[in-house]
Formats: sequence, C-alpha cells, structure tokens
Amino acid sequence: MPRFIFALVVAVLAVVVGGELAPVGGQATSGEYKIGVLEPITGPLAFEGKRHVLGLEIVRDLINQRGGVMGKKLVFAMADATDPTAAASEANRLITREGVKIITGTFSSRLCGAASEVAARHDVIYWESSCVDPRFNKRGLKHVYRTEIDATGFGWYNIDFIAKHLAPRLNLRPNQLKIAFLSEDSSYGQGVTESARQRAKGEFGMQEVMLEYYNWQTLNDMTPTILKMKQLNPDVVHHISFSNDGVLFWRQAKEQNFLFKALVHAGATGYGSSDFGKALGNDANGVFALLEPGPGFRLEALKPEGQQIEKAFRDAVQKETGSYPLGAHQLAGSGLWLLKLVLDKAQSDDPEKFRAAVMSLDLPVGSMINGWGVKFSELGQNANDRVQHYMLQWQNGQLVTVWPEEFTTLRAKWIPLPAWDQRK
Amino acid sequence: MDPTARLGPAQIGVLVPLAVATILLGGIYALISVGLTLIFGIMRVVNFAHGEFLMLGMYLAFWTFFAFNADPYFIVLVAIPLFFVVGLVVYGLVMRGVIHASHNVQIFTTVGLSTVLQNVALVAWSGDFRFVRPWHLSTVVRAGATTFNLTQVVASLIAVTLTLALVAFMKWTHAGRVMRATAQDRDAATLMGIDTDRVYRLTFAIGIAAVGAAGVLVAPLYSVYPTAGLQFVLISYVVVVLGGLGDMLGAMLGSLIVAAVEVGGSYLFGAAWKEIFYFLLFILVLVFRPAGLFGQRGAETLGV
Amino acid sequence: MRSRRGAFLFFGLAALIPLVVRDAYFLDSLVLILLWGALSAAWNVAGGYAGQVSIGHASFFGIGAYSAALMVTRFGLGPWLGMLVGVVLSIGAGFIIGFLSNRLKGPYFALSTIAFSQVLLIGVSRWRGFTSGGEGIPVPFRPGFATLGLGHVGWVYMALAMALVCFAVQVYLERSRIGYQLAGVREDEDAAEALGIATRRLKVAAITLSAALTSIGGSLWAQYVGFVDPTYVFSVDLSVRFALNTIIGGMGTALGPFLGSILITSLETYLRATFAGVKAGFTGIYLIIYGTALILVVRFVPEGLAGITTRLRRAHA
Repeated sequence: MPRFIFALVVAVLAVVVGGELAPVGGQATSGEYKIGVLEPITGPLAFEGKRHVLGLEIVRDLINQRGGVMGKKLVFAMADATDPTAAASEANRLITREGVKIITGTFSSRLCGAASEVAARHDVIYWESSCVDPRFNKRGLKHVYRTEIDATGFGWYNIDFIAKHLAPRLNLRPNQLKIAFLSEDSSYGQGVTESARQRAKGEFGMQEVMLEYYNWQTLNDMTPTILKMKQLNPDVVHHISFSNDGVLFWRQAKEQNFLFKALVHAGATGYGSSDFGKALGNDANGVFALLEPGPGFRLEALKPEGQQIEKAFRDAVQKETGSYPLGAHQLAGSGLWLLKLVLDKAQSDDPEKFRAAVMSLDLPVGSMINGWGVKFSELGQNANDRVQHYMLQWQNGQLVTVWPEEFTTLRAKWIPLPAWDQRK
Repeated sequence: MDPTARLGPAQIGVLVPLAVATILLGGIYALISVGLTLIFGIMRVVNFAHGEFLMLGMYLAFWTFFAFNADPYFIVLVAIPLFFVVGLVVYGLVMRGVIHASHNVQIFTTVGLSTVLQNVALVAWSGDFRFVRPWHLSTVVRAGATTFNLTQVVASLIAVTLTLALVAFMKWTHAGRVMRATAQDRDAATLMGIDTDRVYRLTFAIGIAAVGAAGVLVAPLYSVYPTAGLQFVLISYVVVVLGGLGDMLGAMLGSLIVAAVEVGGSYLFGAAWKEIFYFLLFILVLVFRPAGLFGQRGAETLGV
Repeated sequence: MRSRRGAFLFFGLAALIPLVVRDAYFLDSLVLILLWGALSAAWNVAGGYAGQVSIGHASFFGIGAYSAALMVTRFGLGPWLGMLVGVVLSIGAGFIIGFLSNRLKGPYFALSTIAFSQVLLIGVSRWRGFTSGGEGIPVPFRPGFATLGLGHVGWVYMALAMALVCFAVQVYLERSRIGYQLAGVREDEDAAEALGIATRRLKVAAITLSAALTSIGGSLWAQYVGFVDPTYVFSVDLSVRFALNTIIGGMGTALGPFLGSILITSLETYLRATFAGVKAGFTGIYLIIYGTALILVVRFVPEGLAGITTRLRRAHA
C-alpha cells in the first residue's frame, strides 16, 4: 500500500512538473494575434468572471468578423485568477509561457492590483476593463490602462443624479437633503460609498444622517438597522448591496413600513441584478441603480458606429444567455472593442506606440457599445465624463433606463416614493 | 462619529419590533443548531461540515423549486427522510472510522468533508447565487402595529416543534435513553451491552436530517450558493457552546441570546460590529464557562 | 537520528534550479512551493510538534502581511521593519492563542482559533482609516534588497532561506530537550505535567514561535504578490492550506510540510493553468481531491508522505 501511494505521488509529480517545464507556444501562429485574458473563472468571484469572459468572447468574434486586429485574427490565452496569489502567478504564466504583450481583465481590485504589478515588471500592457480600485493607476506604473471609471466615478454619478435630478423633483435644495449611507463592506462597497459621501458633503453640502457597513455574507436580519433608520428619517437612502442583502433590506423595510423618498444603488450586484426583480416582482418598483444601459436606451443617441456594434452585441448576448446584456458583459466587451481601436491606430503592441495611440483617442459620448466616449488621462484612466453611466429604475418588475434623459425614452417615476402598496 | 450615538435604547416603540426580530432570528438559529448540539453532545465530535449539510438542504429547496415549483414547506417532508439517509451514508463512509480516533483526526476529517461538499456543489452547480422565491416570501402577519414575516414565523415554529420533539424522544423513548447513556459514559454503555456504533449512527442521521430540513426552510430567506453554510456555521457553534453540549433546550435559549446580542448590537453600534460581538461572546464563554451557560459544571469533558 | 537525505535533496535541488532554469513561471512556482512549505512548517511547530492544532494561523499571516504593507505604504519605512513589527504583533497574538490553548482542548481550541482570525478580518476590514479597509493595500514594487524588490531568481533564494529557517527550527525541536518535552506534551499532557514539565509555558512558547514564523512568511508574501486583501490574508482557506500541506506531507516531521507543499502547490498550479480555458470551472475538482485526500490521509496514512518514504526505506534496509 505505501508503495502504491508513493508510486502514485511520483507519477502525479512527474506529470505536473513535466507540464510546468514544457513551454506552451509563444506568440501565436502568424495570422493570429494573441492577448492574455485574466479573469476569476473559479473561486468566490467566478460568477461575475464568467460573464466577463462571455462578453469578451462575443466581442472577439465581432472583431474577427470585421477583420481582426492589426489585420490578424484575435485569439485569447485564458488564465484563471482565483485569488491574489493565483492572479500574480497566472499573469506570470501568460507573459512568460504564452508570450502575450497585452493582458486584459480582471474584475476585482484584489486581483488587478497584483497582476498589473507583474505585468509592469515585464513591460507588458495591462488593459483593465472593470476593477474599480481608485489607486489602480496612481502607482506610477506606466503601461496600465483602465477603460472603466473607478469606484469614485460610481459614487460621483450617484450623487450627480441625486443632486441634479432627484433634489429638484423633491423640491429640496441639495444641502437640505438628508442622506443615509448603508453598504456592504467589500472593497467595492467601500469605494463607492466613500466617494459618494465625499461628493455629497463636500460639493453639495448634503446632510449625512447615517453611515453603516455590514458584511453581506453574515447578515441575517436588517430589522435593527431599519428601525434605527426610521428614527433618523432620511430623505434618500444610498445603499450599495451585493446579493440577498438588497432583497432583505427592501422586504424588511416594507414589513416595518419604513418610508423614505428614494433609494439609490450602483452596480450590477444586489439591487442591480435581475434577481432583485425576480424576488420581489412589482414590490421592487422604485429602486434606482447606476448601471450600463438597459431597456429604454435610445439607440439613436449613439453614434452610427456605436449603434451597429451595440445591436450585434446585444443580439449575441441575448442568444447566449437569453437576456439583455448585463453590466459585466458590457464592461468587458466594450473594453475589448476599445483595445481593438487602439491597436488599429497604433498598428503595434510596442508599449510606447501603444501609449501614443491611447492618448490620441478622443471620441465623444455615444461612440461605443454602451454609449461611452473615450478620452484617457495621463495616468491611463478613461475620463469620468466620457464614461457615461446611466441610472436605471425598477418599473413593473424590470430595470429600465431613465437617466440621463437625452439617452432614454423612459422617465423616472415615484419621486418621492409613495406608500408601499401604491407603487404600481 | 456615529450620528446615532445620541439615540438611546429607551424608546419603547422600538423595543417591540426588536424583540420580535430577536425571537424570529433566534428561531432560525435554533433550527440550524439543534442537529449540531445533538451530534456534538452524544458523539462528542465537532462536525466542521455542519454548514455544508445546511447548504445542501438549501440546494434541495432550490432545485425542487426550480424544477417543479415545489414549495419548501412541502419539500421539508421529503428532506427529513432524505437527509436521514444521507446521514447514515456519511456516517458509514466517513465518520465511523474516526469516532474513536484522536481529536486531530476528527477535526481534519470533517474539515476535509466540508471542503469536499463545498466544491462538489461548486463544480456541479456553479458559484452563481440562486434564490428560492415561493409566493409567500413577502407575506406578513400583522398583529396590531407589529409585522411578522410568515416564512420566519414558520421556521421558528418548526424549530420549536422539532426541538420539543427531540427532547421528548430523548427523554421518553428507549432509543433516547440509550443515546443519553452513551453520551454520559461510552465505556459503561458498552459494558451494559449497548451497541454504541448503532447509537452513533442514529444520532448522526437524526442530526443531519435536522440540519437538512433547516436548510430547506431557510432557503427562501437567503441566497443559495456553495459557501452559504459559512454564514451560519460559526453562529451554530456559538449557540451550541452557550447552551451546553447536547442540551437542546439550552440550544434554544442560546439561540435567543445570540440573536439578542446580534439585534441589540446592530441597533446600538451598527451592523458592522455584530460578528465581533458574538465571536467575543464565544471566546468568553469558552474561556470562562465551557460547559455552557446552562450546562453542568465539569461537563466539558470533551473527548472522554 | 533520521536520515537527512530527503531534505538535502529537496533543498539542494531548490538551490540549483535557478542556476539552470530561467523560465520565470517555473521559478514562480518554485517560490510558491517554498513559501507555502515554509508557512506550513511554521504551522507544524504548533500543530505537529506541540499538538496544538489551530485552524486560525491566517491570523498571524495576515498580521505579517499587513505590517509589511503598512510600513511601506503608510510610513515609508520598508518591509524589513514591517516584518519586525509583524513579528512583535504576532507574538502578542500568539500569547492570546496560547492562553486559549491552555483553557481549551482539541476541537474547542480549533474553533476558537477560527473565531480569532475572523475577528481580525472584520476589525481590519472596518478600520478604513488605517488599513484601507476592505479595499486592501497594493504593495509597490521597488527594485532592491532593502525593499524586497527582487527578481525571480532572487525570490527563489529568499524563499529558500525562509524555508531553511523553518526547517531548521523543526529539526531543533526534534533533537533538543525542549523538543522532547514538547513531544511529551503532545502525546500525553497530563503525564508530562506529572513529570514536572512546564506544559502550559511550553505550549505558549511553541505557539508564539509558530506565530512569529508565520508572520514573517506573511510579510514576504505581501512583497511577492503585491496586494494585501483582508478577505484573503485572514481567510480560513489559508489556515486550512497550512494544515493540509503538513498533514499530507507528514505532521510532526521536518520535511513533511515541504513534501506536502510540493504535491499540493504544483498540482494546484498545474490544474489551474491547464483548465483555465474550460468554462465549467473544473479547477474546483482539485479542491475535491484535496478534501478527499485529507480525509483519507488523516485516517489511513497519518504519517503522511514523509512517513511513507520512511516506511519504504526501512523495508529496503
């Protein structure tokens, strides 16, 4: 028996070490251009990671139908970033074994931080499409770019909406608004909430009546918090939720008959996920969520190139998943499309030429799949005001686009929120 | 500075809903913990995979809801015998061999079991969050100015019923007496001709049936995903330790205490700190009264 | 005395490989094998040699990682100083865990260590002002020894040095009088007490030593991977990893943790790289394998891989 186990272990090691030593093909065969894709395919973040991958694959196919990048077919080398250690390790593998010069990904701040450091050490371009850590491009790494705005942008947009759209309709000046901040405590929740707080207080003088973080995984009951909030009587509740915590809050707020004028969230999780509507049906009505555009988006507001791509993208996602493209699909997909635009302009993956091409791009809002424009800062960050984000609202059990009004056919309703049983 | 700090707990209008929330939450914790205290108390084995059986119960509720639109309250009746069998199988395959082994072996066996179950769920059903949303999810019962969520009420009532049933079983049936005897003194029980292996098998199976049923009942209230068990398993341990090993009524009281700490702590200091409160409570009880608040002094002869 | 052939072979190979193999990915895997091995060996000091099985060693790992990261980013003072601070803090934490180990037995103790690591996780996640809370800390890479900004080869030797230190500590525990007393505490604490051994103090000493070593490993890790995230560095998964490597490799043996790390780390890296393109997330399967291996090893092959090689060697002797 011991002999058998020993032999088994040695055999396993032989396979593994052999696999490790054998180099996989470097840059792809001619006619193909390979980039590295680093996303969490396993582990706690896999549920979003795989949506990113789908978005990327669909846009890759769209790109290849239109001639590929730099005249070659675009192919992916996939890597799995389960946790920070794996992210660094796999980035290493993509660079040394797969020979890629560009890595795209990676969804979560904990992953993009580690992986981009590795890329920087090897002079490889890091093309980030969705992690929102504000410090990402402030570390002095030269070839790190981010197509999506960071968490501060979400908070920024939320407060923009509250101050410029909600406040007037509530007949209140922004500095008369009482706002309560509630959030799950991951890096995403903290990033968005803190930036929202800063702008709310600093720029608009809103009155913050509460700030609370919680761990969504161990949260079993929101009643105590709701009871506390009832005493504090906020006008607007800024709640960043992750999963069931959004449902829990909304359901229990109704049970406790907690009334307030509006609830605003940001992102494709929690209130921004289709599950919220499935869980509560029409009871979900009224909640606002900052997201990529959904139904009600005025395609005519896009520039012609944007419209074409948008339709192709939307159809493909609909075919694969049976639903309108989710935020994750759109972020990854448009990040890749933007990469193609840059490569076509630079006609090279040499970091300096690439950078020059990135900086030279200047497209107005409405040019991309999700209505974005493009203008990168010196730090490699796509600008807040080009990366248009949209406010969606739950109406009739569905999330529809309601703001900014020049981009949407539908309008925000129930401002302020009426009694719980009157939101039809 | 937390702006709510100026609020005191002296508003009566808030006490009633807080108390109701405590009782309902405590009911859920009791439901989840009663199986654990039984296993813990009689077999003296810490089952680190307890949360995973809860998770499996939640998935059972999800898949039957998804495939047949079956209501969890109905599925519970299926879950109990199903998980009883699961318990028998797991006992035979995994637990029997380590009952008489050292603590380390038991710890790592159940840790290994926990890893296996979590990842079987992950590979088979992916990490996506699933939800069970029966028609009565948002139904509330109103009594005066207070609202009770129906799903929570049912879960609590079933917890009470189950606990009382188990207490009655332990007290008045032959099998129950045999189980208690084995718990008190394994060697003496063997000398009296009790087949301890059968006792343990029965205990484990009942415990797993209880937690599996609990999973089905709580599934509508929370998300279902492979690591959902983690949300509750540590709380269950706090409850069991507070109430005393094997003391099921103690587990009920322990649940209420934990729920009270959570609800009160959340209200007064913010939801961010509630885990710290019950972890600290856990450590304090372990250090100063390991037999539990209601257990007998000296009953912490773990592993004997 | 045990033959040290295996250790010589392992460490010798590790030292020679960077001279021959230049492939950065292979070297990276080697660094991870050595680092996880060293951390598992640190766990072994408390778990294998002193018999205090904790599933909360990530507490010390996290303390070390955060100390290094904060020293660098907040105070601009360099990771070595951070490592020192981490060691001091971890020794303090080790005293607390040691105290618990004197009050609690077996599974109760294990549970309390889990609770402790979770308290740290939550505390650090909330302390936004100081630790950047849930957002974590990116650790900048600055070339140079003082800043632990090493190249791939440099890191192999750094990790090797750490591994050797942990190995040596274990060997010391095997040969010294303290080690024999510790073995007594592990096997039968009451008997050892009766013999006049200061069991309580020894247990605390073993745990704090283990904590200090784990903390150093955490500081090194922070500089190597470059991002400290509280939900990872304080996670129960990490704590289980340290124990898993040691158990599979052989608890209470000096080489065991490293043997376990070779098998598990390389298998994990290999499977992840191979299955990255598969949508179904097959990589979860290796965790199922590990869990099953843990159950089987702990019951049927308690001596682990190290024990098997010893058995085989004896059979041939």
